[in-house]
Amino acid sequence: MSMHSSTAFGPASRRQFLRQLSAFSTLGAAASPLALNLAAMSAASAQTANDHKALVCIFLFGGNDALNMVLPTDAASWANYSSVRNQAPDSIALLAPGTAAVSSAAAGSPARLGGVLPITPLNAQGRGFALHPLMGELQTMFNTDRRLAILPNIGPLVMPTTRTQYNLASHPKPASLFSHNDQQNTWMSFHPEGATRGWGGRMADLLASQNQRSIFTAISASGNAVWLAGEQVQQYQVGSDGAIRMGAGSDGKVYGSTAVAAALQRIVTGGRGGHVFEADLANLASRSIDAEATLRTALKAASDAPFGTAPASGAYKASADPLLLYNNPLTGVPALNPLAQQLQVVARMIDAGSGSALGAKRQVFFVSMGGFDTHDFQNRNQGDLLARLSHAMRYFDTVLGSLGRRDNVMSFTASDFGRSFTSNGDGTDHGWGAHHFVMGGGVKGGDLYGNFPQLGVKNANNNNFDSSPNQLGNGVLLPETAVDQLGATLAAWMGVSDAARNDLFPNLANFSQRDLGFVR
Amino acid sequence: VNEHRGLRSTVWRGRTAWALSLALALGLSACGGGSSVPVVTEQALGEKPATTQAASRFLTQATFGPTASDIDRVNALGYEGWIEAQFNKPRASSYRATWEAADAAAKAIDPKSGVWQDGLINAIWKQALTGPDQLRQRTAYALSQLLVVSMQDGTVGDNPRGAASYADLLADRAFGNYRELLEAVALHPMMGVYLSHLKNQKASASTGRVPDENFAREVMQLFTIGLVALNTDGSVKTAGGQPIATYTPADVAGLARVFTGWSWACPDAPTASSCFFWGSNANKSDADRTIKPMVAYPAFHSPEEKRFLGTVIPAGTSAEASLKTALDTLFNHPNVGPFIGKQLIQRLVTSNPSPAYVSAVAGVFNNNGAGVRGDMKAVLRAILLNPEARSPGGSGGGKLREPVLKLSAFLRAFPHASDSGDYKVGNTDNPGNALGQSPMRSPSVFNFYRPGYVPPGSAAAAAGLAEPELQLAHETSVAGYVNFMRDAASAGVGNWGTAKNRRDLQANYSAELALVEQPVATLPTALVDHINQKLMSGAMPLALRDEIATAVGTIPIPARNATGSNQTYIDNLKRARLNAALFLTLASPEYQIQQ
Repeated sequence: MSMHSSTAFGPASRRQFLRQLSAFSTLGAAASPLALNLAAMSAASAQTANDHKALVCIFLFGGNDALNMVLPTDAASWANYSSVRNQAPDSIALLAPGTAAVSSAAAGSPARLGGVLPITPLNAQGRGFALHPLMGELQTMFNTDRRLAILPNIGPLVMPTTRTQYNLASHPKPASLFSHNDQQNTWMSFHPEGATRGWGGRMADLLASQNQRSIFTAISASGNAVWLAGEQVQQYQVGSDGAIRMGAGSDGKVYGSTAVAAALQRIVTGGRGGHVFEADLANLASRSIDAEATLRTALKAASDAPFGTAPASGAYKASADPLLLYNNPLTGVPALNPLAQQLQVVARMIDAGSGSALGAKRQVFFVSMGGFDTHDFQNRNQGDLLARLSHAMRYFDTVLGSLGRRDNVMSFTASDFGRSFTSNGDGTDHGWGAHHFVMGGGVKGGDLYGNFPQLGVKNANNNNFDSSPNQLGNGVLLPETAVDQLGATLAAWMGVSDAARNDLFPNLANFSQRDLGFVR
Repeated sequence: VNEHRGLRSTVWRGRTAWALSLALALGLSACGGGSSVPVVTEQALGEKPATTQAASRFLTQATFGPTASDIDRVNALGYEGWIEAQFNKPRASSYRATWEAADAAAKAIDPKSGVWQDGLINAIWKQALTGPDQLRQRTAYALSQLLVVSMQDGTVGDNPRGAASYADLLADRAFGNYRELLEAVALHPMMGVYLSHLKNQKASASTGRVPDENFAREVMQLFTIGLVALNTDGSVKTAGGQPIATYTPADVAGLARVFTGWSWACPDAPTASSCFFWGSNANKSDADRTIKPMVAYPAFHSPEEKRFLGTVIPAGTSAEASLKTALDTLFNHPNVGPFIGKQLIQRLVTSNPSPAYVSAVAGVFNNNGAGVRGDMKAVLRAILLNPEARSPGGSGGGKLREPVLKLSAFLRAFPHASDSGDYKVGNTDNPGNALGQSPMRSPSVFNFYRPGYVPPGSAAAAAGLAEPELQLAHETSVAGYVNFMRDAASAGVGNWGTAKNRRDLQANYSAELALVEQPVATLPTALVDHINQKLMSGAMPLALRDEIATAVGTIPIPARNATGSNQTYIDNLKRARLNAALFLTLASPEYQIQQ
């Protein structure tokens, strides 16, 4: 790692060199055929992309209770839902479509929220459906705009699995089900915690060669996410306010000194002690400085239309931008929606990326929100979070519409797992399968892609749900659609070749349907 | 050293012998109040540091950062002597008392005011920067990342006094037994709120309600045994090439029954159900319910048989008896030593301990030599005195300093006083302009970072190393950290104080400024060498020293003119030199690694 002090390398070529070095030393001798394949696949998958496309993962950390997000409203389903979830002291059973909201009821309570919001899938599978009462924007996106689709009962699967097979030790299943960190990692990388590559990043590996600057290929507006990690592509993290300039002020000085500013840059990108971890810090600092230097001019301001609203006076404050405020259902007061703020910078990056400044053809993005682990106070907490999700997705769709980029961006939700159908009194416990959304101009929206599961009632003598083929203990959903199938469908839209999809999605070959069919 | 320890250990392990060998001297308090106060005589023990740098390196592991006086103590007492002395140090103040005093002071000015969450964050900083009980605090801080309760949770965040009490629990019991620590953790109402076993009810056969499984799952996954069976050296046990899972969903469901029927301390407990649900009955509640252990409400406790991990608690067993059996079962599981021991090593010493190191610590956890399991003092001795801790680990040894410890080491190396007396560092969550980390504000029960985190595409990954603390680092946070330290070096740290129009924490740099006084033509190496000793235990590479000295040397200091009218100008430039030397050191990757 001594080449950093050499002047023979410019920053860009040094980075490239380091990355390749790192990639090959990571792979080692045994894996080198894969490295060779990578280059071949990259060429094969490049196709002739003249357009710009972006994929956005919206991760709901904690395990979203999708059973209160997308609800079957046909009589049999509704009766079972209401009986299972109506438990003291704080019922989490939402109320039937059309129920009037009671403004005097406790904030977040089903009565205060009013009835669930009906949706009209093009193929309703003979049933009725609705969304959580605070997802009005997404109801419109589904029913009217038809740019939102629902993936019922999706989750990590090794192969198709029945209830009987689930109980067989010999039947392959994802490792460490029901565990937060492991299932987050499994959604992102098909491995429990410890994986160092995710399918977003591996897709980026294949697509980055089409981009002028590979650093702007896999981008997080949240924290570090293994989903964005490729073998060569590393995620770039951008703050909600844009890139942060390191050290020097706009005059290029630190404490009034250009020499100190220059030394700072050499020091933070250096590392003279020979420790392995120094190289990682130095690499991050190099990327931070280089990217900021580009984004300083390439990224439009948050206050520029259509991303935000220019303040009448003074500096821009996200918390005062009406476009980023959602109606907080607990206080009744508009409040900053942090997810919308993340999607704001994603939209700015897409705008810059698709232009000549960054020259990107393919980008993958990661945004997230936390707090979905609603063992307690589910009504209040999940309602607030779903209100934000709905508002933020609608905001993003609107901004992309203004940019003329709706057809070029596809967004999808993901989460650790779904939750138990049973109530623990005011919340739910860890589950497996869940319902998720896909959104975009390229989505054949207003429909369900996959069978909507049956919701049964618990057995008389235990917490199994033998009355439904789709439910396990505590009414947890046994997924019918695999994350691999979702990933492969999105990868195909991004231009990843059929052969490469088998490599990216290790369980895909176990499923007959390689494409879920939601892409126009 | 080993020979010496072997001889000592026989004397050492029995409680009576321990008390005798420590030479506890009882005397009257100096103020003559008449009450007798134990005065602990510190005693040299074991190997002494070969160099001041070695003492400093040790203190980087065992404290919130080396200070000149602690280095003197370690040099005088030896490593083990210092550890024993720390075991006997009382806490200067509890976090809760510090929080309460600050809160009362704020309310005296404005009854609607308060110190809220920042009051606890500041209390932790105050104790970390000024408390003499450093090993206890650093251990408690490590435990706060293992037995996580976070004020990012809305309810915990609304009860900072309760959160302070939880932090106190960890500090008070840091040198006790892990079994007792575990029970106190399980029954603390803030843990009950955080992992939702507070007011958790038994199942209802008629309606289908089931017990909340949250605490049952995480107490196994995170606080005791982990997901997979471990050997004593921390390696994973496999069968047919696959890791052996420690528990199944059925074990979680069985254990969840144990953690039913617990809720707030309340005047009408355990009979009034509104006490169980809401902590009050007939307008009566316990003002200390957020700091008192949860109590059992038999009517809400599962009467069924409870089966988990091969243990069967018969139907009809009380909440208290069930809890005891459950925690005994978990505590006695062979995974606990390697699982907890390795993570404590990672928090204090190195991200990548060898199997032998883990094995040594786990072995001591399993048996302290006197047949006691879970003796935290023995575990801490084993961690800090292990040869792998005491000799630098080379290019992959040690660990990345986490953001809070990067700041604390700086604030202690150059002692910062607080204008307000409250050490108002405040919330440092924001990665873009602060540290991306505040004490007691982990994003989830999984802590700020995972113990096995390997950064994708990193040099650590290429070298086969875990680098947990790097999970907090990204392009935004590295810039945010540098900018935060730029301002910390030049302007101090913390909330703005209107009384003096400056940040609350300020250092006295007179000794350092004296080192700036030198012929202008010379490189300021003396200053940089001084900072190297203070911040990096003397381990700064020469090339870095020269880089910093050269840059600092470019800041010109003119000669004093005849009238002295340029003295302020000169003083400002001298301070600029000091700022630059401090800042460039703090910003360096070399500083950010604890070797």
